[in-house]
Amino acid sequence: MQKKEHNVVGQYTGRLDAFGKVTGRALYAADRCFPGMLYGAVLRSPYPHARILQISTNAATRKKGVIAALTASDIPGARVFGVVVKNQSVMAEDKVRFIGDGVAIVAALTEREAREAVGLIRVEYKLLPAVFDVEEAMKPDAPRIHQGDNVFIHHKVRRGSIEKGFQEAEVILKRSYRTQRIEHSYLEPEAALALPLPGDGIKIECCAQNAYSTRRSVSEVLGIPMNRVEIEQATMGGSFGGKDEVMTSLCCRAALLALKTGRPVKMVNTREESFLESYKRHPYILYYKIGAKKNGRLTAIEARIIADAGAYASMSPFVTWRSAVQAAGPYECLNVKTDAFAVYTNQAYTGAMRGFGSPQVNFAIESLMDELAQELNLDPLELRLKNCFTEGSVTATGQKLNPGVSLKEVLQKAAGEMKWEMKRALYEGEKRNQDYIKRGIGLACSYRGVSLGAEGIDAAATVVSVQSDGSVIMWSGISDMGQGAQTAQAIIASEVLGISPDRITFFPVNTSRISDSGPTVASRGTIMGGSAAKKGAETVRDSMLKEASIILDESIDNLIMYNNWIFSSKNRTKKTSFSALAGECFNRGVKLFGFGWHKSPSTTWDEKTGQGQAYFTFVYGCNVAEVEVDTETGQVKVIRIAAAHDVGKAINRAGVEGQIYGGLVMGMGYGLMEEFSIQEGEPQCYNFDEYLIPTACDIPDMKAIIVENPDPLGPFGAKSIGEPATELAAPAILNAICHATGKRIRELPADLEKVLLDHKLKRISKRGSEEK
Amino acid sequence: MKIEIKVNNKRYCLEIEHNLTLLDLLRDELGLTGTKRGCEIGECGACTVIMNGDAVNSCLVLAPQADGSEIFTVEGLEENGELSILQKAFIEHEAVHCGFCTPGMLMSAKALLDKNPHPTEEEIKIAISGNLCRCTGYKQIIEAIKSVSNQ
Amino acid sequence: MLPEIKYYKANTVEETVHILAQNKHAIRILAGGTDLLPELRSEKQNRKVIILDISSIKLLNKIEDEGHFIRIGALVKHSQMVESILLGRHAGFLTQASSLVGSAQIRNRGTLGGNICNAAPCADTLPPLVALDAELTLESSSGNRTELLSGFIRGAYKTNRANDEFLTWIRFKKLPEGCRSNFIKLGRREALSIARLQVAACGMIDSNNKICYIRIVPGSTTPNVFRFTEVEEYLLGNEPSERLFSKAGDMVARKMVEITGVRWSTEYKKPVIAALVRRSLQAIFNLKPGVAVK
Ligand SMILES: Cc1cc2nc3c(=O)[nH]c(=O)nc-3n(C[C@H](O)[C@H](O)[C@H](O)COP(=O)(O)OP(=O)(O)OC[C@H]3O[C@@H](n4cnc5c(N)ncnc54)[C@H](O)[C@@H]3O)c2cc1C
Ligand code: FES
Ligand code: FES
Repeated sequence: MQKKEHNVVGQYTGRLDAFGKVTGRALYAADRCFPGMLYGAVLRSPYPHARILQISTNAATRKKGVIAALTASDIPGARVFGVVVKNQSVMAEDKVRFIGDGVAIVAALTEREAREAVGLIRVEYKLLPAVFDVEEAMKPDAPRIHQGDNVFIHHKVRRGSIEKGFQEAEVILKRSYRTQRIEHSYLEPEAALALPLPGDGIKIECCAQNAYSTRRSVSEVLGIPMNRVEIEQATMGGSFGGKDEVMTSLCCRAALLALKTGRPVKMVNTREESFLESYKRHPYILYYKIGAKKNGRLTAIEARIIADAGAYASMSPFVTWRSAVQAAGPYECLNVKTDAFAVYTNQAYTGAMRGFGSPQVNFAIESLMDELAQELNLDPLELRLKNCFTEGSVTATGQKLNPGVSLKEVLQKAAGEMKWEMKRALYEGEKRNQDYIKRGIGLACSYRGVSLGAEGIDAAATVVSVQSDGSVIMWSGISDMGQGAQTAQAIIASEVLGISPDRITFFPVNTSRISDSGPTVASRGTIMGGSAAKKGAETVRDSMLKEASIILDESIDNLIMYNNWIFSSKNRTKKTSFSALAGECFNRGVKLFGFGWHKSPSTTWDEKTGQGQAYFTFVYGCNVAEVEVDTETGQVKVIRIAAAHDVGKAINRAGVEGQIYGGLVMGMGYGLMEEFSIQEGEPQCYNFDEYLIPTACDIPDMKAIIVENPDPLGPFGAKSIGEPATELAAPAILNAICHATGKRIRELPADLEKVLLDHKLKRISKRGSEEK
Repeated sequence: MKIEIKVNNKRYCLEIEHNLTLLDLLRDELGLTGTKRGCEIGECGACTVIMNGDAVNSCLVLAPQADGSEIFTVEGLEENGELSILQKAFIEHEAVHCGFCTPGMLMSAKALLDKNPHPTEEEIKIAISGNLCRCTGYKQIIEAIKSVSNQ
Repeated sequence: MLPEIKYYKANTVEETVHILAQNKHAIRILAGGTDLLPELRSEKQNRKVIILDISSIKLLNKIEDEGHFIRIGALVKHSQMVESILLGRHAGFLTQASSLVGSAQIRNRGTLGGNICNAAPCADTLPPLVALDAELTLESSSGNRTELLSGFIRGAYKTNRANDEFLTWIRFKKLPEGCRSNFIKLGRREALSIARLQVAACGMIDSNNKICYIRIVPGSTTPNVFRFTEVEEYLLGNEPSERLFSKAGDMVARKMVEITGVRWSTEYKKPVIAALVRRSLQAIFNLKPGVAVK
């Protein structure tokens, strides 16, 4: 029998959390109840920009069933929060900054009473001039949304000399692109339950993605120390980066009401409230200029990127930083200049969403590369192969890539899977046909910095605790929003301990139980949490092996942990079961508890020069999409899509594939149909009837190609997949559309009107219908 | 008003307000929180249950309308304390990510398979097209359902 | 959350008209609820709503073969329509339309009567029903009346239903033997999709290969739904040809703009409805290229 490299890693199929989810027993936050519980509701601003002159809660307070009505003035601690810039209000104090900004909260005996009471709160507003267009907002005379300039972030990347680069160029293209605002559309709307603890503490069960940053804010807002705020994550119904600040403010509000009333308070957003108040993916305007030699070698890339941050800073500083770093794409180019700006406007704020600043720049640079290929009469694949990063390449930020640069490999694998050359030629030939259906094939590729990079401190903790019967409990500071982080960590621990993952029970994130592990963002769950799990498991393994060596009278080096047994490689009769060993260890007072702490290698960044070691490692991916375009209606059907991603090592293969499929479909929605449109500050989508995401009937035939080049910096070589999976489908599809029709769409999404008419049709509509 | 309703083979006699939906009734009155609330306008399918043999959005059924009906929810899928083959298939095919769409998906799938034990892939897609899933991209869900139909 | 509701239930037509007569002004009829419940949810919470649930009237839950005619009860659900062999044989495009409504769950609750009475300009069954010259029966305590569907719809979300009456039956003549029909729905996605544009058409040729029967009803084009008779007349007596059908498409498009004036969406809808009409005709008369259902 050939020995497999790993016994559990890459082999195990299943999910620790699936049983609860298929039986309906998993408790999401909205499914939970406490005796004596009150219901909270929020009054939100109907105006995009207005000064609050006065708020009267009298009528609301007098209403039957109402126990408390609170405004900003009732907040004991800090009135604003924010991970990067502290300027987001829990409830607006002096002014409201977007339609949907929270103004006051109510707790009542029933949800109905709470919601009705909200309508009785009287707020006197003085309307202020508002600004919605991001470029208008950049002008010096634009209405100011916060103190200071509306342009609150400017990241630069500078490499070489951009002037020289364009002088050397034989072809120069200048293009601009636009992307739209996207709603995360996690299926579970936000929910939180706050429970006053004896003394002045508070426990919150909720679906916050980043329990620790939420805890910090709640502690500051309530004015109590962090150890009195316990945040426990309920089963989460998706997040995609979306349950951060919006959950923080919900948790703060529920906590305020709970402390004020001394009773548990439950707050659950309706879908309409969620769409209204939750943050979105940034719409970008991207101005690009690219220079190349006739043979296709790039000489200069210049990008000016403007991100609409909406009313609050949220994650914009980090999102735009990633955009700046990755704006020039995965291409060798000696002269790069990028400027990324984040700008306040009076509409829904924008923050973290799966991709985190990459979907926008990928759309731009990957469209531009296709435009350049066309200009140069080169095949788009060829142009990319000519310029893409290889071993030893240096990025736009001056960082030499660590070994394992597999861009060519993913490009070739995805293109090969889709028979790129043959189809490119075939569809080219078909263009002369009369048929109104035109076919096309297109691709996009990227490199992506793994984890937080120079955005912040990057460390995580996981505990592995073996019980005396050989069962195992794990818990971690890394959240599982549905992406399978717990399963991946359990697989890693199982590999180390030679047990099957089914022995492991994973506890949800609880801020009082384990150290702050940073946010579960940036596809860092596996690489960070997994590394911590590995270390935790190794600690336990080492102490167990030491004991086994005594019991079995065999040197540690000869002991193997495999398939729930520990045995000697020299003498197979020397063996003990994992359970028996665990019991023996327990009896002998051996530590069966491993705390794993993993800190990532450090990164560097120089804001002034725009240069540095931005991320400690990178992943590479390529999508190739094949479409049919109905040139008479503008309808696009994605027929087939192949996605090749180098994940380092697939810990859970089916899990990786699932991330890829989910990411592709989300990326397809981004490319073709999703748009959270806001007009004059008023959202045009309040629910899933107006915000369209792909259904089961819309999906293409999908092929996931997992490429494995193990990375020494990841557990068993694993890196990440969550975000890479979603950042390439849109440009690949739009490139395919262009191949089919010959027309280039530079603004997302490629909806019916844009595909047919080449431009956007402004829609003014009545709810639930397409016409006014 | 008083209604009589059979849920997962259990008979209930309840006194309810007129303005509850079947979804409210299941979650808030009967504590069957497996059925999820995602949009309340019939678009997401998270609230899907089987009512008199058909998959329906429980958020669009006024509770009084359910008087006399027979309902199955995700909590009623297990057979003799064991997971049904459909539930097992969902686990085996990684069809469950965040799981919020799962109860509704399972009910749509069950309604399909009860009527049509060997659906084509197209029929499966159509049957679950009223169930939005943001996590999986649907592929593994479709494969899970297909695997049951092959058994 | 729904507003406060006073709930009545009627099990028969008689009970219904009786309750309607007593609560003339305020009462709202509830069938499948797939339009009504979302509507109630978005209304002001503090007004009490009176609801009359007619969903249990068994009499109106069937599709009947009346020889030359077919009669459909207002409470027949889209999924029943899809399964009906009778409808499939004699009004294929109506079956097609119902099969494209919402999702399986919506089709399992949504009724034909609800689709008609809600009178959305994008309602999927309206174009085929209008093409069939469907006739409605409305019942009230003072008796019943019949009216052509095309006259019943009075614009977007408007009908001339009196407060004390309700829709009981939808009746139409079977399509003539040899007549083919087709329904095209263009939406932004493949399921759960509100129609952007629709075309219902049916027709046949005589032994001389001349078009002898033709009906064309575009949907989501105008506030009212009606047959484009000018275009039908233009086609009658001609031999099917791609050129002819393209011309018919253009005529429909021009007529649409005449009626609605130029709107934000006209730039898109005008060329597209022309193409869809052409395709629909091509599909019916078996011309290349291919069938374009959907
Ligand atoms: C998610 C979703 C997707 C949808 N997709 C589509 C679609 O693709 N195409 C489409 O056409 N529609 C669609 N609809 C709309 C709806 O499902 C249909 O219009 C359906 O046929 C309505 O029937 P119902 O029985 O549910 O109506 P109800 O909601 O019960 O009633 C609708 C209206 O008609 C009145 N009414 C109902 N029956 C009668 C009667 N017999 N006499 C007098 N008045 C009556 C009611 O008072 C109400 O005003 C969708 C709805 C949802 C929620
Ligand atoms: S909650 Fe019923 S369909 Fe979304
Ligand atoms: S698994 Fe998360 S929505 Fe389907």
